[in-house]
Amino acid sequence: MQQFVNVTLTGLISGSVYAAFALALVLIWRSTRIVNFAQGSMAAATSFIALALIQAGQSYWLALVVALASGFVIGAVIERVVIRPVEGGPELNAVIVTLGLFVAIQALIAIVFGSSFESFPAPFGLRGFTVGETTIALTPNSIYVLVAVVLTMAGLIALFRFTRLGLAMRASAFGQEVARLLGVRVGRMLTLGWALAAVVGSLSGLLIAGGGLVYPAYMDALIVFGFVAAVLGGLDSPVGAVVGGLTIGLALSYVSAYLDPALVNLAALVILMVVLLVRPGGLFASSTARRA
Amino acid sequence: MTRSSRRLTRLLAAATVATTLAACGGGDDGGGGGGGGGGENEASDVGITEDTIKLGAHYPLTGVAAPGYSEIPTGVQAYFDHVNANGGVYDRQIEYVYRDDAYNPTNTSAVVNQLVLEDEVFAVVGGLGTPTHSAVLEFLNSERVPDLFVSSGSRLWGETPEDYPYTFGWQTDYVSEGKILGQYIAENLPDAKVGLFLQDDDLGADGESGLREYIDDQIVEVQSYVPGNTDVGPQIAALQAAGADVVVGFNVPSYTALSQLVSLRLGYQPQWFYSNVGSDPTLVGSLLANFSQGQVTDATLLDGAITTEYFPGTDSPDDPWVQMFQQIWDEQGQEGELTTFRLYGMAQAYTTVQALQAAGQNPTRDDLVAAIEQVGADWEGPLFAPFRYSEDSHMGTSGMRVVQVAGAAVEELTPVLTTDLGDAEIEESDREAATPPENGIPDEEAAD
Repeated sequence: MQQFVNVTLTGLISGSVYAAFALALVLIWRSTRIVNFAQGSMAAATSFIALALIQAGQSYWLALVVALASGFVIGAVIERVVIRPVEGGPELNAVIVTLGLFVAIQALIAIVFGSSFESFPAPFGLRGFTVGETTIALTPNSIYVLVAVVLTMAGLIALFRFTRLGLAMRASAFGQEVARLLGVRVGRMLTLGWALAAVVGSLSGLLIAGGGLVYPAYMDALIVFGFVAAVLGGLDSPVGAVVGGLTIGLALSYVSAYLDPALVNLAALVILMVVLLVRPGGLFASSTARRA
Repeated sequence: MTRSSRRLTRLLAAATVATTLAACGGGDDGGGGGGGGGGENEASDVGITEDTIKLGAHYPLTGVAAPGYSEIPTGVQAYFDHVNANGGVYDRQIEYVYRDDAYNPTNTSAVVNQLVLEDEVFAVVGGLGTPTHSAVLEFLNSERVPDLFVSSGSRLWGETPEDYPYTFGWQTDYVSEGKILGQYIAENLPDAKVGLFLQDDDLGADGESGLREYIDDQIVEVQSYVPGNTDVGPQIAALQAAGADVVVGFNVPSYTALSQLVSLRLGYQPQWFYSNVGSDPTLVGSLLANFSQGQVTDATLLDGAITTEYFPGTDSPDDPWVQMFQQIWDEQGQEGELTTFRLYGMAQAYTTVQALQAAGQNPTRDDLVAAIEQVGADWEGPLFAPFRYSEDSHMGTSGMRVVQVAGAAVEELTPVLTTDLGDAEIEESDREAATPPENGIPDEEAAD
């Protein structure tokens, strides 16, 4: 029983980080209609900026703010400088460019910060709570992670559903020309979409780094599972991303504990295949007609 | 290189030797190389010229296995620099080329190809890792390149020299280590329920088979991890659920850190055993160094963990071998402290120089292999127990002692024990610790 509880909690915690990452993918998809493979490397870059600050003696929270701010800047700059020139062409061009960025940024991190493993501090405790005699796999830090993810999700839903800005961003993504005719400054909206997505991505990078080990490629596994989570959820829905992330986290944790850890990646693929066979648009797709 | 172009190289080399001799009126004999020959140096095979010998290696300088292991080649380099500064081996300077494979077998194939075909090394020395080196085992043997002292304890390197005649192990194999740890548990913790935490390859499998020779009935749970997947929460939770009060880990250092972190989260406190590969307290301590609020400060998490040693590490600063290597490191080493990983590299380089000396003044690749088979078992050096080299076995050193981590140092729990694969008995080693040579360079006779 204790094992089941612990495996479930472990799955929920890693699932919530996959969810945070999937949220970033959803955000960028919603606001630019691009799938961004460089998201993981961009997040890793900001985590290393945060780590450098922490090692210089600054507090975790200052490092967090700086990391998110630098994520915003990196996202905006990449959109303006690298993505904008290929945006008019076939959609695939931009996606391939993000793949190139993914490798390039990782290499850049290794050059600037080195490629050794480093531990990344957590803002809250890493010891599990005790219930009666037993310790459960829930730590103060994992509660912080859960809360941060839920807040981010709520923020995104509010942005897209209740603000003019969110509406303008969605409009720019769906029909650039129509939006432009209606007075939306499409270029700015696309840049903003990338910048916000990079902020959310940075947050997920910091959340997974806290209390663990980081190295330039530490987000790689997360990229895969984050994508699976986002696609599971329909790539369009913040709630779907969170549900998808938690599903993947739990499923992989059970596979690892009760079947075989070697099957984890395979299981992710099987889950993805099954969901896409049953619901090609993902679990939370609003309507299949809405494709840009 | 094709056969004919190799012949051409030899011809050219011979011509060069002839002209050099005419110019100088004879080579300089003696120096750090030790005995043997007395004739002139020749370019006797690929990778050897009159005044250089080229050796290659592959290490994870980046990626999941890089912490610690990336320091090994800096130790090797420092030792070779020391030998070179004292005249080299048979007046040949050792050129050492090592390349990064990031612990990825695909990369290993590529970089070893490069070492053999482009760099044209005489031998590969100390290539690191079981999955990585397995990928180039066939290639090196089919190219007849000596593949010395693989940095891994898999039985693969030495068990069947008829299949891999050019490959030699070096460190204690994981089966023997498993047996020695198993016997220690059977004798000292006979009532313990044992869980295993294994890397999902030969490291874990060989270790488990050794352990099962002694504590088959005590093992209650076996969990493994796949390198690269850093979430080991489910595995540790399963060990805890099985009620294991002793956990033996055959894993690499970063997973020692990860398993300790997860155990902290789960409030799980078994008696930990880690195989030698994953137990360096300094490295694990530095991996855990940044955690918040003093909860995980340093290696104290590893305090009390039990592991093994087959050569003196930085935790034995009074050992004469460590002092010798420390002096060499201070003179020749790069930035940074002497670590146990660097000591490992220096000890391996020491054995390499012994092999090169034994191979004679103008060796072919086959001469090198024959020399190790013939006299390698007699070499004395920093390792506690002798090598098992012969025509029938290319297994490395045969023994180790069990030690317990106490802060940054270790306490001995057993004397040096030696054993072998299969059901060979575990015996106390009767060999006395060797004395290091004055100048830090071995002096082996040519084997012929």
